[in-house]
Amino acid sequence: MTAVHQFVPALLPRDATGDHTRALRDAFRAAGWESEIYVEAAHDELQHEATYFEKYPAKARPGDVLLYQLGTSSPVAEFLLGRPEPLVLDYHNVTPESFYEAWEEHTVAKVALARRQVAELAPRAILGIADSAFNARELTELGCPATEVVPILVDLDADGGAVDDAELARLSARHGTATVLLFVGRISPNKSHEHLVAALWTYRHLYDPDARLHLVGPTVTPDYAAAVFAYADELGLADAVHHGEGLTTGQLGAWYEDADVFVCLSRHEGFCIPLLEAMRAGTPIVALDAGAVAETLSDAGILLPTARPATVAAAVDRVRRDRRLADLLVAAGHRRLGDFAARRTRERFVEVLGRVAGADRVMA
Amino acid sequence: MPGDTATDVAERIRYLDEVMAEIDAEVRRRRASGDLPAGLERELDELFLEFSPVGLQGRARLRETLALVDGAAYIDIAVPTASNKAVGSYVKRLIRKGLGWYMNFVVTQIVKSAWSVSRMFHVLVDHVEDLEAAVEAHRSPDLPADVIPDALPGEAWWAAATADALRGTTDRVVVADCGDGALVEALIAAGIDTYGVDPSDLVLEPALSRGVDVRAEGIVDHLGVVAGEALGGIVLTGSVQWLRPNEREHLLELVTTRLTVGGTLVLHSTTPEGWASSVTPVVRDLAPGRPLHAETWVHLLASRGFDVADTVRGGTDRRLSRIDTGTADADTVNAAIDTINDLLLGPTEYLVVATRTR
Repeated sequence: MTAVHQFVPALLPRDATGDHTRALRDAFRAAGWESEIYVEAAHDELQHEATYFEKYPAKARPGDVLLYQLGTSSPVAEFLLGRPEPLVLDYHNVTPESFYEAWEEHTVAKVALARRQVAELAPRAILGIADSAFNARELTELGCPATEVVPILVDLDADGGAVDDAELARLSARHGTATVLLFVGRISPNKSHEHLVAALWTYRHLYDPDARLHLVGPTVTPDYAAAVFAYADELGLADAVHHGEGLTTGQLGAWYEDADVFVCLSRHEGFCIPLLEAMRAGTPIVALDAGAVAETLSDAGILLPTARPATVAAAVDRVRRDRRLADLLVAAGHRRLGDFAARRTRERFVEVLGRVAGADRVMA
Repeated sequence: MPGDTATDVAERIRYLDEVMAEIDAEVRRRRASGDLPAGLERELDELFLEFSPVGLQGRARLRETLALVDGAAYIDIAVPTASNKAVGSYVKRLIRKGLGWYMNFVVTQIVKSAWSVSRMFHVLVDHVEDLEAAVEAHRSPDLPADVIPDALPGEAWWAAATADALRGTTDRVVVADCGDGALVEALIAAGIDTYGVDPSDLVLEPALSRGVDVRAEGIVDHLGVVAGEALGGIVLTGSVQWLRPNEREHLLELVTTRLTVGGTLVLHSTTPEGWASSVTPVVRDLAPGRPLHAETWVHLLASRGFDVADTVRGGTDRRLSRIDTGTADADTVNAAIDTINDLLLGPTEYLVVATRTR
């Protein structure tokens, strides 16, 4: 029987990689394959779905294919380098350490190790699966013999686009008719939250003095987050920048629904799932052309060549004032989502892994 | 995209290109109208840098880093025991309770050690801040470049004396603040292998156009990259007269080490009195240092192993003539004239010629 087992450093609930890994396991099992998840660590909620990677050798069978969900450093990488089974990488990108150099030495060391591990694993793998062509190019440059671009498996329809009405009412009551710019993503230097703050300041200066910036995401680099909010404070925006984290699916839906424009000024993105969430919510997108953003977005947003605050502010204003443009972007977003439909992505993964595993049966 | 024809996509992309062009035009219009002052965006970037660890400067950076050390010096042994499983929480509490005495013993020693290190850093930072305050108290604004007197060393009264002092030198000679290069040419004409340096590109242009070997550098920077004992002679003039005391010391150190033993230093300067009466009030007030008396240079050079061969006085000669001794009260008047001459009008410049002996 075909067996594709996944390895992932940490299996977490409400986490893109965790959700992707579990959805893939279900897809592989639905295809009639054996599939388990091996981890370095798992959240309490998901302990029953995971096995520690050190236990794999006792369970290994001839014909196994190992699929590594690669996005951070882990002893799992060293373990896999020593395994004889065919190895496939599912590469979600590792943010270059240069982004952290000014902020966190321990993160610099961690991501540097992760990138070294990518460099060691790439030539060892028989195939690299990448969320984007941007990520695939990195794998190829590191010596991966073959790559396939298959997006991350996000089932945006699973929750039916839930919106917490109470949260939506609470948000609306706070800002009234003021323009709301939204960004969703962990607070980390590569996401360039400071540019969002500068853009808000400029937008308020030029177009709407009451405009607000809503930031949703966990604080993964505390010094950077502190600097971003101190910066906002210094610019007189303490009451205009609102941070949300630990939101439920419905609450997150409300923040998207509440926003007038989704603004992404990240300087490094390997895929950018929040773009898809904004498309699903019907929130027009303005984004910096960096990393994989352009290919994820396609023509479903205004793609900026620069993050200069005046340009961002002018783009947001244009989307706010031009109903035809906003409608066109939203419609394009809905069409673009079709390319990332969960069913389609599942089929692609099973097809690609099936070829590697020599499976004689591919899910219809 | 599903349902899209190639024409649809091309049409949308063309439209979005137009929109982007209009956004660019809007930004240009805002800039032209003054809504977006020049440099505003750069100022926004720089403001954020002030909040980043690399952007913090001096005292703020020290204090910020010290706060991090203080924060990291504390270790909390009360590990969280929350768990989504009832039994998990119970097990975690059991472990915390069972190991508490042991962890506390070890952690207390670690924390004490960390606090000792932290206290040492506090003492160091206090000391550094005291030093910064002392240095800051002596800081003076930069001298405006346009008030520095022009010097044409080649036409100066001391050019011939300099050539005489350096004649026979076989190693290279450098002229500081060489201006238009006339002195460099004069020394070359005297058979001395000479080149010049001057911090101002502008004043060097005539020399460069004549093909004279001159470089756009200050003498301190230049000597900093010259090999030890590589020069047979150094001619100092111009801005070396009003260096800050610490810069003067540094220059002297460089001169001493870059000259060969037996090499010649020629130092030209105005007297403090001549300088005070010849420069504008702005220069007088803002110059970082003051010219020294010839005697002071002799003292400084002797302390560094130089043998002072000669001190020549010269420069602007505006001395008042003494009156005829047959005139009534001639002695009294001539004494007053001598005093005025010495204090205000006497030779306002001097040349010190010294040889490195060790």
